[in-house]
Amino acid sequence: MPVTFHIPGPLREFTSGRSAVTIEQSPATLAEALSALWKLYPGLRDRILTEQGQVREHINIFIGSEDVRYTGGLTSRVAAGSDISIVPAISGG
Amino acid sequence: MIGQVLGHCRVQAKIGEGGMGVVYRAYDEVLRRDVAVKVVKKDALLGSSGSQNLLHEARASSSLSHPNICTIHDVGETEGELYIVMELVEGKSLHEMSRDAGLPPETVIRCGVQIAGALVRAHDRGIIHRDLKTSNIVVTSGGLVKVLDFGLAKQVGAGDRDASFEGPTRTLETMQTSSTFSGTLAYMPPEVLRGEAADYRSDLWALGVVLYEAASGRRPFEGRTGFELSSAIMREMPKPLGSPVPPGLWSIIQRCLSKEPIQRYQRAGEVLAALEAIQGAAVFAAAPSAERSEPQTLVLHSVRHARVRRGDFLLLVGTTKGAFILRSKVNRSRWEVGGPYFHGHAVYALAYDNRADQHRIWASTASFWGTVLRSSDDFGRIWTNPQEAAIRFPADTGLSLKNIWQISLGRADEPNTLYCGVEPAALFETHDDGETWSLARGLFDHPHRPRWVPGNGGLALHTIVLDPADKQCMYVAISSGGVYRTSDGGRTWSAQNRGIRATFMPTKYPEFGQCVHKIAMHPARPERLFLQNHWGIYRSDDSSESWKDIANGVPSDFGFAMVMHPRNPDCVYIVPVESDQFRCSCDGRLRVFRTRNSGASWEPLARGLPQKQAYETVLRDAMTADSLDPAGIYFGTRSGQLFGSCDEGKTWNKILEGLPAIVCVRSAFIEDGFGHSIATPRATPQPPPSSRSKPRTASQSRRQSHQKKR
Repeated sequence: MPVTFHIPGPLREFTSGRSAVTIEQSPATLAEALSALWKLYPGLRDRILTEQGQVREHINIFIGSEDVRYTGGLTSRVAAGSDISIVPAISGG
Repeated sequence: MIGQVLGHCRVQAKIGEGGMGVVYRAYDEVLRRDVAVKVVKKDALLGSSGSQNLLHEARASSSLSHPNICTIHDVGETEGELYIVMELVEGKSLHEMSRDAGLPPETVIRCGVQIAGALVRAHDRGIIHRDLKTSNIVVTSGGLVKVLDFGLAKQVGAGDRDASFEGPTRTLETMQTSSTFSGTLAYMPPEVLRGEAADYRSDLWALGVVLYEAASGRRPFEGRTGFELSSAIMREMPKPLGSPVPPGLWSIIQRCLSKEPIQRYQRAGEVLAALEAIQGAAVFAAAPSAERSEPQTLVLHSVRHARVRRGDFLLLVGTTKGAFILRSKVNRSRWEVGGPYFHGHAVYALAYDNRADQHRIWASTASFWGTVLRSSDDFGRIWTNPQEAAIRFPADTGLSLKNIWQISLGRADEPNTLYCGVEPAALFETHDDGETWSLARGLFDHPHRPRWVPGNGGLALHTIVLDPADKQCMYVAISSGGVYRTSDGGRTWSAQNRGIRATFMPTKYPEFGQCVHKIAMHPARPERLFLQNHWGIYRSDDSSESWKDIANGVPSDFGFAMVMHPRNPDCVYIVPVESDQFRCSCDGRLRVFRTRNSGASWEPLARGLPQKQAYETVLRDAMTADSLDPAGIYFGTRSGQLFGSCDEGKTWNKILEGLPAIVCVRSAFIEDGFGHSIATPRATPQPPPSSRSKPRTASQSRRQSHQKKR
């Protein structure tokens, strides 16, 4: 079952304007799902992860309604048909 | 009517029938030119006061002179009729051109730019069109757009409250039910349908309808009756326009068609800027560059571009929320503001690179989404946005880039070389014009590095100074680490802090660990450096082997910015702040201090600067000098005010206020137009660039090729 990424506005210039991107593979983990996403839209990688492969400090990723910070980060399991949301934090001045 | 003379125009033939009356071709027998004459029946459409008002409006509109506005030459009245003499425009209406299937996006954007330009001019003069529609827009065979009937709609219908519709043939087209209504229903914004007064934003709604119709051949809101149509305008969202309409154009149309005026563009100039931005993009999309496949950022939020011409002077301003490009003539008295670019991104470093026949602006942008180095070869209209960040810490370092604090051009004879100072403190370099960057390992592996500590702004390498004469020699400044120098091209580095205090350390004169805020060198005297410390102002006359305190007579020796005069190697500018506890200008007086004797004494320069309740901070890169004579000095404050002096600091003017916190100011003089650059405007003065006859490298050729394809 594919999973669908929901892309926030500031990143859509890297997805040809698409707000949702469906990955046809069946990734088992968030890391696998993201790898498939980078293959389609390589510009997203450096916006979401640091060069050391960590999710950027002020970026939150949700699988369904669960923040992956509390479910194992990049190793979080991705259920078939999941919706994955990439959301900038609301911090800032 | 044919053969009659109205004013001094002889009517020759009927050429159309519009919303307001019949249009004739006529010949102006006095000025001997072809004109169009629109004849409006007074009794049919206007009350007695309406006639006078229409004449008044037409006269007001006749003051509009713009290539995209059909000029009104004359107005008058004869028995029972009003007439308006106007420029004869021969072409097709946009309605005719687009009614089958819409026009190609490039044509829509090209027309949109011209229509928006016309609205900018009219709105600037206080004139609202009120009936902008595709049938009021004529495109000549040469592609020139002319907008007709500016300001005339307001009065039509004002006097006749019984006339629901303009005429039997256009019952749904033009609706004039009462004094509050004028214009054409399909182009009317919700607020006008609610009975509110039209304003400039009503024209922007109509522009959205026009662009939608031009792009698709259909209108965004439709209905079989006036009620249905009104209902659709008030409540429904327009059907999205997919391919071939590019997302950028669709987003502009959507914003014009926001139901609430406050959610639309607020000025025609904003629509114009947005359309101009995607105009470049459309060209790019049509001819993608093979060499550079990364997406180009299109700036779609209310961005205005400065129109840079040869002989112009620029200020590049980086703030915590975006960048601005200010343009002026060389007298630097009036400024056109371009931007904001990179909405919401902090821009701590900017550089103007005029080496190798280029006009490239480099910018670092930092946000939640990371930090990248970007560039524009057209003064901000299009910025690169690399797929992959080129400046990145290698995996073995375990570090991640937080910010780029400094972009420093290589020496004049190294046009492909640039350096970046970054946070966490490190130096990166490129020798292929920014295509690939590498971490300067000689400095990174220095045994002191693990013991450098972050200052208030983080642990940053913020200043890079090249010895113009000795290619092996360069200096960097780190907060808090101190000054480091290499004398072997970066292989090894030594701490150069003898004589510099570290007030916050138990040992006041440590080997390293000083919180240096800025260093500066004049290229004519590379052995001498000036230094603004976290407490302390210093000079070294021996290539940083030793430092001497020169804070003679300044109100505080705490400060951040330090700028050399472009020609006088004894002249330095600083802006002291009160203390590390209270980092604001001393005594609420914003004063620049200047020495002209290498620090033996300092003089305050305050004329034109606020001297009461001015608690300002000028950060380390927020001051710069230009290369002109007399020299200009410019600085921005944390409160978003930008000041400048064209007379070396004797008098100051406020250039701009209300910006986000200013963190970087740089200047550029565009001496010889596009592709032939001569000037050398840099924050740290450097020798003039090499001869233009220098052969181009592969990357420069690529850059040229890339530019041509845009």
